[in-house]
Amino acid sequence: MHNLFRKELKLSAHILSYLFIFFGFMFFLPGYPVLCGAFFVTLGLFQSFQSVRENNDILFSALLPFAKRDVVRGKFLFVCFIELCAFLLMAAVAVFRQTVLVSAAAYRDNALMNANGFALSAALLIFALFNSIFVGGFFKTAYKFGRPFVTYIIVCFLVILAAEALHYFPGMSAVNAFGADHLGLQIGLVAGGFAVYGILTWIAYRVSCKRFEEIDL
Amino acid sequence: MSTVSIRNLTETYPSFRLDGVSFTLEKGRIAGFIGRNGAGKTTTIKSMLNLVHPDSGEIRFFGENLQGNETAIKKQIGYSTGTVNWYPRKKLKEIIDIVRRCYDTWDEAKYRKYLKLFALDENKAAFELSEGMKVKANLLVSLSHDAKLLILDEPTSGLDPFSRDELLQLFVELKKAGVAVFFSTHIISDIERYADEIVYISNGQIMAAGEKSDFIATFSEHGESLEETFLRLERRENDA
Repeated sequence: MHNLFRKELKLSAHILSYLFIFFGFMFFLPGYPVLCGAFFVTLGLFQSFQSVRENNDILFSALLPFAKRDVVRGKFLFVCFIELCAFLLMAAVAVFRQTVLVSAAAYRDNALMNANGFALSAALLIFALFNSIFVGGFFKTAYKFGRPFVTYIIVCFLVILAAEALHYFPGMSAVNAFGADHLGLQIGLVAGGFAVYGILTWIAYRVSCKRFEEIDL
Repeated sequence: MSTVSIRNLTETYPSFRLDGVSFTLEKGRIAGFIGRNGAGKTTTIKSMLNLVHPDSGEIRFFGENLQGNETAIKKQIGYSTGTVNWYPRKKLKEIIDIVRRCYDTWDEAKYRKYLKLFALDENKAAFELSEGMKVKANLLVSLSHDAKLLILDEPTSGLDPFSRDELLQLFVELKKAGVAVFFSTHIISDIERYADEIVYISNGQIMAAGEKSDFIATFSEHGESLEETFLRLERRENDA
């Protein structure tokens, strides 16, 4: 399996998938919807799927000495690898912003969502939606990705909008915790984000394997 | 234990049906797979490689069912599916570097030998290669990991007569080493000269599968070449 993962990293991946990990730095931006950073990371992953299609990668991979379903596993491993790299960067930026830069006026007076535990859990939700809607949708045909990507974009921006608006609702201000405020809640939200990410990605993977087995290449 | 055993392979498409395809191939034998365009050759080969999903039937290699043993079986098979471009802008050596790690039995000496024999430049990208050279590039991988069976979809298409003859001579050498070769082609003279067995498919049905001499004895009329026999059979099928 590590050979298939190596193939994904060295052959199938588009350079933008790696470069767009750095959109995780958007968690530094005050007065900006930081979750757009998570969207841009998935936009980078989308470039790899375009490259996959241009280069006949699915058929190439299916002809390698692996089971057909391993082609799906390789793609999910790559996608999760990029997402988790981006998440680690976002988490590091969020911690830095909420500790070392906690007294910065730009962050203290931030009108939009703070880069906190809730933002990180929402980023994980966005990644999970990408895996479910886009990657899962792609493996219906292993060729067409227009509809899954447009659907994902719409859902993604609805989630960003809802996440940005949530703390303005009565009793929900804690989700916009600043610094070490509501630390237990913030850590719990990240843990919840991981659980949702893991469950949705696992379901998407299983469904994709089943779909891909039935596709004629 | 047959190297390849296909039983009642059936797959239905809106305008085509692969209908109960069955044949076997033993170790150290060369089988030519013939049939018109659209007869079901590529679909059969893709089924053998688990690229398409048959409605029913059984595909066994080396006595093992393909379903459930796909990885182990694929490691013992070399295959080439025509001149499809993989990563046309990547250098051959970049692609080979990925592929070679996937085979425990990769033989670097053989790889170098066939690279030289096929006069391939591994620093070239696929888009810089002629159609014939692309076929050779595909074959290069198939031949470099000690495969016990080669499944080749039109491996001689696009090759010049000299390269074609070299390749077919290579099949004979591999056969002597116990390798089974299953190849589809439209060049009947290649089958006439090099194949031990013929698998003949028409409209998704196997019309004959077995020894070439049996095929000739059964279907050929006096003084007919194999090509003339095949053409007559196909005309008869069309008229029917």
